[in-house]
Amino acid sequence: MADTAGRGAAIVRLENIVKRFGGAEALSGASLTVERGSVHGLVGQNGAGKSTLIKLIAGLHRADEGTVEIDGKVYDRLTPHLAEELGIHFIHQDRLLVPTFTVGEALFLGRELRFPGTPFLDRAAMRRRSAEILERYFGLALPHSALIADLSAAEKQIVQITRALIASPKVLVFDEPTAALVRREADLLFQLIRRLSAEGVTILYISHYLGEIVDLCDTVTVLRNGRDVATLPVAGTSAAEIGALMVNRDIGELYPKPDVAPGEVVLEVENLALAGRFDAVSFTLRRGEVLGLTGLVGSGAKEVVRTLFGLDRPTGGTVSVKGEAVFSADPAAATDRRLALVPEDRRRDGVALDLSVTENTTLASLGRFSRGLIDRGAERRQTEDLVKRLQIKTDGVDALVKTLSGGNQQKVAIAKWLSRQSEIYLLDEPTVGVDIAAKVEIYRLIGELAERGAAVLVLSSDIEELLGVTDRLLVFFRGRVTRQFISSETSPDQVLADVTGAYETLRHAG
Amino acid sequence: MLVDAPYIPASALEIEAQKAVEPGRPGPAFGRRLATLALRGGALAVFVGVLVVFSVTAPFFLTIGNIGNVLGQSAIAGVLAIGLTIVIIAGGSNVVTGGIDLSLAANMGLSAAVYASLAQAGHGDGVAIAGALGTGLAIGAVNAAAVTLAGIVPLLATLAVMNVVAGLELVLTQNTVVPASSEFLSALSAGGPFGIPVLAYVLLGFTLVVAAIVQYTPLGLRLYAVGAFPDAARAAGLPVKSFVAGSFLTSGLCGGLAGILSVSYLSGSTTGAGDMLLPVVVTALLGTVFSRRLVPTVTGTLLSALFVGFLINGFQLLNISSTLVSGVQGLLILLVVSATTLLGRKENA
Repeated sequence: MADTAGRGAAIVRLENIVKRFGGAEALSGASLTVERGSVHGLVGQNGAGKSTLIKLIAGLHRADEGTVEIDGKVYDRLTPHLAEELGIHFIHQDRLLVPTFTVGEALFLGRELRFPGTPFLDRAAMRRRSAEILERYFGLALPHSALIADLSAAEKQIVQITRALIASPKVLVFDEPTAALVRREADLLFQLIRRLSAEGVTILYISHYLGEIVDLCDTVTVLRNGRDVATLPVAGTSAAEIGALMVNRDIGELYPKPDVAPGEVVLEVENLALAGRFDAVSFTLRRGEVLGLTGLVGSGAKEVVRTLFGLDRPTGGTVSVKGEAVFSADPAAATDRRLALVPEDRRRDGVALDLSVTENTTLASLGRFSRGLIDRGAERRQTEDLVKRLQIKTDGVDALVKTLSGGNQQKVAIAKWLSRQSEIYLLDEPTVGVDIAAKVEIYRLIGELAERGAAVLVLSSDIEELLGVTDRLLVFFRGRVTRQFISSETSPDQVLADVTGAYETLRHAG
Repeated sequence: MLVDAPYIPASALEIEAQKAVEPGRPGPAFGRRLATLALRGGALAVFVGVLVVFSVTAPFFLTIGNIGNVLGQSAIAGVLAIGLTIVIIAGGSNVVTGGIDLSLAANMGLSAAVYASLAQAGHGDGVAIAGALGTGLAIGAVNAAAVTLAGIVPLLATLAVMNVVAGLELVLTQNTVVPASSEFLSALSAGGPFGIPVLAYVLLGFTLVVAAIVQYTPLGLRLYAVGAFPDAARAAGLPVKSFVAGSFLTSGLCGGLAGILSVSYLSGSTTGAGDMLLPVVVTALLGTVFSRRLVPTVTGTLLSALFVGFLINGFQLLNISSTLVSGVQGLLILLVVSATTLLGRKENA
């Protein structure tokens, strides 16, 4: 495919890239050098800047500062089309294939085969060629008439990769390619990547699973907070070491966590299971306690939170709230038991953007403010009190929630449940997309909830944050709680190793 | 930590879950295929059933003369529906946000009025044809600009354009019938070989050409990609907006062509072109039912144009009130759209 001459020279080189979105810096001086013929891993926590960096190479973003150099030539205005012409192809995590197309049509879209000398499609040739290619690279035979919509996630992934292969790529960029694959399919993918690498194709591989990086790559670059903190040879480096580089060790004074003596158990979960999502999940939560849950997408942590709030019906196990077993899967009943869910996508599920701060705050507790008609005065007093207590920055209680910053919207989402006098708080990624100052305020608020006797469960993928605000931490991996940590005695890299299944991989290897 | 694009989309979660719950694939795909088959089979059965019922009850129904008649009568709606089909292909078949061109019927009305007015003013057929097609193209261009440049949803953009165009027609004709006659027009409205009207041959020829382009060239394939999954089309390096704009220009041209056909059919331009909208939309939407993948196709649209034509014709032969026809058409829209939407939902679930 690509010539192997000049192996070792840089094929993609990003130098001191700065990229801002609005006022915020996604990348603040990141560099990345990918050598021709190498399998280069790129890792970093959520928000470290990986996606932005990839989109720069794809020509989807343009750097504010720094240079993008491909094959020794600097490109100021890289476009997706130009990137493709230069032989750089991307395997995105969402499969961009037209569902109503046959495999052949999907593979050749944009470079269709025609009957020679006519403007007409040669569908038979496209079908034949695609069958050949799929057979050659994957040993995969799909029915001729199969539409993309009929394929499994893994098969779609394979078709997506094959699309790139048809173009004889020089560089293939994989963005979390195994997110939708099961182990066996992932192994197939790794074999293919090794074969492509042997044929001289340069691979840039982005993954959350550090085990994969260690297995597959020969070099790895670690991004943290928009900067590259290290580029190392993988030989002689462990997943745990890479993990340690991904997280910032000095946690500092970010987390104002009060000491609260835990009270009685208010939530007891035993052997909870939801078929296909999680299994055998047990834990307890006490008044005044903050419990953290973490895991990769699909690890089951998020689904546990949904199930606790009654959004999904468990297929096994028991949940008890304040000693009473819960049988129904009913969010309304859950709020009556004084459970509160602050969802991750607050703009969609957490607050009503076009309603005022007051209306949002009392939305879940209108019963308290109405005897037939709503007592606007009482509603207002309650909201003013909460706005003061939570230090919500707003032009007044009548301001529309959409005019507030992300952090303050999140506080309104929490105020809604405070007004409802909830006692058990389930917070799903409470600090996603808010700035650092607002994060600290939300941390303070979590501590305050605990101090006032509430029980708080925080689901987050930011491990440092979790260790800072929680008492205990449960790690989910592939549907099970694989480990429990006492937050104050734990360092982020210890947790990360479990989150990414680094030990799992070691077990596989051993 | 704050600003990076959302790293793992919610859809990834869904995919993971889907995979975990049912690793085998025959389940939903099989169910969907069955439902598709049922819908297509049902549609064809209804088509045949309607033909049978009418041929039994109305003696003239299945004569060559009558079939030719239906083809000829369907030519105008058929050409418009094919234009609409192209817009739906390029814009996607989502009923609310997808491709639609509501201005087509009004476009035909104005194009016809332009043709008739030019003819009446003493211009030749060449000028009148150019005027009609130019009018259609201009309307298409306005639609294209409103949708691709201003970013207005096609449903709204073309609704607005429809009203403007209908108003222009009123201004031009003073809401009167503008008669027109010429050799070209008479030739178009005459009978052709086998006693089948020339308009029927025009419809078949037009369908053949457009179907060849849409179903059998890379251009057509790309058109489908743009409508079905714009992100995939973009990833394949296709200029999505140009395709969408092109689809509106093409449907505008179809409006102009239909205008010419209607001048010949009615020997002039008449008012009330807007009444054509419902049958055209029915025809284009119903057309998807006649395709294997449940997508809009040109040949499917021709079939459904004939179906609607036979329906109207049969009602006429049986002396059933024509007001009932729009009722049946409205019902068909509801049926087809809900069936395909339900299927689509199953597919995405």
